[in-house]
Amino acid sequence: MKNQLRELRALKQWSQGDLADKLCVSRQTINAIETEKYDPSLPLAFKIARLFKQSIEEIFKAGD
Amino acid sequence: MDKPNTIESVQPLSGHYSLKKDLRLNAWFMVAAATCLVFDLLIKRHPEWSPLRRALLTLTPLIPGMLYVRDCLHFIRGMDELQRRIQMEAWLFAAMGTLILGTIVNTLNANGVPLGRLDHGFSLVGTFALTFVLWLVGTAIANGRYK
Repeated sequence: MKNQLRELRALKQWSQGDLADKLCVSRQTINAIETEKYDPSLPLAFKIARLFKQSIEEIFKAGD
Repeated sequence: MDKPNTIESVQPLSGHYSLKKDLRLNAWFMVAAATCLVFDLLIKRHPEWSPLRRALLTLTPLIPGMLYVRDCLHFIRGMDELQRRIQMEAWLFAAMGTLILGTIVNTLNANGVPLGRLDHGFSLVGTFALTFVLWLVGTAIANGRYK
């Protein structure tokens, strides 16, 4: 699954650690999502969407 | 909000070690190990004790052991979703690896293949050690996948 997390985080000028703290997950989780090695659960995807005030579909796109 | 639990927080020299988290997780394990050791020594020194007394002393470490399991579950519940997945993969790897290696050793023994110290299969301590080593390997593999 493709996502815009790295770009959105860069816009806010947050480090991976900052974002991890805000979402209450580990920095490794943020890195794994950004590098598309791990797809977050639905509750975490909702948390991310709420934090960036966007819909889940705008942040996460199904890969081919 | 609390930071999620990670394995590094209970691994000394990991750079993220927390004595508080380590004690919260492993205190009952230390109590279980200590009572096991002490009662084992006592039972060996007193062969005249009744079977009931021996059974009670042998089974007493189960109480701190169960409290340790409770703390392990609490620790895992405090992990974030990726850490939980990594641990699930690592434990599955360790359990399946122990099962497969145990089956291989037992089958070779049953077919009369000499295996030296493993002629009677894995000992209890050997099984625990093997599972622990496989868990370490499983954790390293799963961590590498999500790095």
